[in-house]
Amino acid sequence: MTRTPFILFDLAGATYGIPSQEVKQMEMIEQITPVPNAPPSVEGVVYSRGEVIPAMNLRVRFGFETVPLTLRSRLIIVERAGRTVGLIVDSAREFIWIPDDLIQPAPEAIVGVKGRYVEAIATLGNRLVVLIDLDEVLTLDPLYLPTSEDV
Amino acid sequence: MPFGLFNTRGTLDADLAQAREETGQLSQQANEVAALATQVNQGVDQQARSLTANAEHIGQTVASLKDSATQSESVATSTEQLVSSINEISASIDEVTDNATHLAGSVEETAAAINEMTSSIQNVAGISQEMATSATEVTSAMIEVAASLNSVSDDTDVLVSSINETAASIEEMTRSIQGVASNADDMSASAEQTSAAINQIAASVEQVTAMSQTLATGVEDVGTSIEELARSIQGVAQNAQQITDVAASAATGAEQMSRSIHSVAALAQQTDTITRRVARDAEEGGAAIQKSMQGFSRISETMTQSASVIREMGKQANEIGSIVDTINLIAERTNLLSLNASIEAARAGEAGRGFAVVAEEIRNLADRAAQATADITAIIRALQEVAQEAVSTSTEGLRVAQESGQLAEAGVSGLQKIMSGIEESTTLVGQIASATEEQRAAGQQVVDAIQTTVLQARQVAGATTEQATTVQSVVRATESMRRIAQQVAQAMGEQSHSAREIIKAAQHNTSLATRMRRATSEQAKGVNQIAQAVESMRRGAASTSRALNEQANAGTQISQEGESLARQVATINQAIREQSTATEQIRVTAEGIRQQAGQLARAMGEQNQATREMTSAAQNISRQIALLTHANRGHSTAMEQMLGELETIRQSTQQSADGSRLMQQACVSLQERAQGLDARLGRLGNGNR
Repeated sequence: MTRTPFILFDLAGATYGIPSQEVKQMEMIEQITPVPNAPPSVEGVVYSRGEVIPAMNLRVRFGFETVPLTLRSRLIIVERAGRTVGLIVDSAREFIWIPDDLIQPAPEAIVGVKGRYVEAIATLGNRLVVLIDLDEVLTLDPLYLPTSEDV
Repeated sequence: MPFGLFNTRGTLDADLAQAREETGQLSQQANEVAALATQVNQGVDQQARSLTANAEHIGQTVASLKDSATQSESVATSTEQLVSSINEISASIDEVTDNATHLAGSVEETAAAINEMTSSIQNVAGISQEMATSATEVTSAMIEVAASLNSVSDDTDVLVSSINETAASIEEMTRSIQGVASNADDMSASAEQTSAAINQIAASVEQVTAMSQTLATGVEDVGTSIEELARSIQGVAQNAQQITDVAASAATGAEQMSRSIHSVAALAQQTDTITRRVARDAEEGGAAIQKSMQGFSRISETMTQSASVIREMGKQANEIGSIVDTINLIAERTNLLSLNASIEAARAGEAGRGFAVVAEEIRNLADRAAQATADITAIIRALQEVAQEAVSTSTEGLRVAQESGQLAEAGVSGLQKIMSGIEESTTLVGQIASATEEQRAAGQQVVDAIQTTVLQARQVAGATTEQATTVQSVVRATESMRRIAQQVAQAMGEQSHSAREIIKAAQHNTSLATRMRRATSEQAKGVNQIAQAVESMRRGAASTSRALNEQANAGTQISQEGESLARQVATINQAIREQSTATEQIRVTAEGIRQQAGQLARAMGEQNQATREMTSAAQNISRQIALLTHANRGHSTAMEQMLGELETIRQSTQQSADGSRLMQQACVSLQERAQGLDARLGRLGNGNR
């Protein structure tokens, strides 16, 4: 039976999962430098391992209300199609292998306008893990999508 | 000497001769000039002399002008004085005129007054004429009065002698009446003596009667008194019995009182004991409160200490909290590192499997550490809350302890008050105890006294019973005495009645004698009064006679005075007539004076006019003199100017004289030099030859 490693993170009381292959590394959030004319979900940029990376608040991106950062807040740095982006989440403490048979597509009934962020739902016992579609999450208006070169 | 020389000598000689000639001419001209100068000098001198003479003359003129100016000024001054004195004269003449006018007026008034006086004098003359006539009449009337007075005086003398005779007969009658009166007096005296003797007898009888009645009354009184005595003795006996009863009950009461006092004393003793015990308890209470106060203060200290300990503990809990935070941070970082390690291991595939397991274990450890730190944090938070509560509780406890200390202090002061109250109570109880002791002693004495009283009252009761028996027999004896006394009094009453009748008879006798004596005495008194009346009549007649004589004399004198008055009035009449004549003359004279005064006033007016004219003339003179003085001053000034010019001329003349004198000297010296030149020229000519 095949299985896939995921990084699980919490956001607004729910558990989400990202395939660990997508994750470049994880950081504690030290300092975010705001940048002008950024989209509302992009809080600013951070400096990590010699790179300047845009930091996107997933709460804003998902339409939740924002909360102050804590010791448990995490920056999940992902790399997709040559772009590196930091996702600000409430916490991220678990690395887990999820068997494929526990993953099922997102039901149509709960897919709204924002349903395109949700790729699938994994069930771990009585825990539900929302597996997000990273492409959708990172797709922004080209005008507002900064790149590492731009910064 | 060469020829030329010769020639030259001839020329020289000719020149010398010519020089000598010219020198002689020069000298001659000099002489002429000197002569002329001398002449000029003389002329100048003469001119100077005449100038000096002129100057002197002009000086004299100026001086005389000045003199005349001074004199004219003095004339002006004196003229002014003249004017002012004329003015004064004029003023005085004015005054004189006024005075003369007034004089004329007053002279006229005087004349009028004199006229009035003349008429009044004439009136007076008429009145005095009338007075003289009436004085003559008065005189004749007075003469008649004197004559009638003389006749009255003669009649009065006759009256006096007849009165004297009457008086003598009355005096004889008086003497006989007085003899009768003395006889009546004697009789009256003897009757009075008789009556007095009878009176004495009657009085003595009356006295005896009264005495026996008094005796009877006294006996009655005695009886009554004795009865009263008996009654009072019975009363005393009853009272003594009552006293005995009362004293017996009083004794009972006193004994009861004594017993109750005993019980009070015992109660006071018990109270004292209880009070002392209460005092001890209060003291112990005070000590206990002091101890509890000390305990409170220790509790306070302990509370304060424990509060500070708890605070310290809170602080340490905070430190632990920060350590826990650090641990938590480390746990989180460890978790992060293990996640990153897991990601890397997954990326390494099969090669990273072992590493992934290690990372998993590390992550588990980190999670446990994080869980543990979360638990610790919760515990520390609870601990801090508890510490905070403990601090506030201990603060509250401290406050309560302090309040308790204050309450205990209040309790101590309350106890002290109680103590002082107890002390006062103890003192009072002691006083009560001693007072009850005294009461008890006094009660005992009362009981003793009452018992004595009971005994004595019994004795009194016995004695009074015996007295009552004795008095009853006395009462009976007194009763018989009273009957005897009443009988004596009755007998004496009868005697007294007889004596009274004798007295009445004697009194009748005496009253008759007395009436007779009174009648004769009244007769004698009447005769005496008659004699006195006659005497006074006699004296009156004599004094009347004397008065009439005096009146007659006075009338004669009055008629004489009247005559002399008439004469004087006639004299006055004559004098007044003379006065009247003199007054008429005065009036005439006054008329003359009045006319003269009018003339004088007019003359003074004329004088006044003349004086005014004189004043204006004098003022005219004064003005002209002033003009003269002014002109004179002008002359004087001109003369002085002339004198100055003459002086100038004299000075220039003097200068001329000096110049001519210098010229003269110059001429003389010129002459001398000319002569000297001539001499040298002569010697030169001689030498040349």
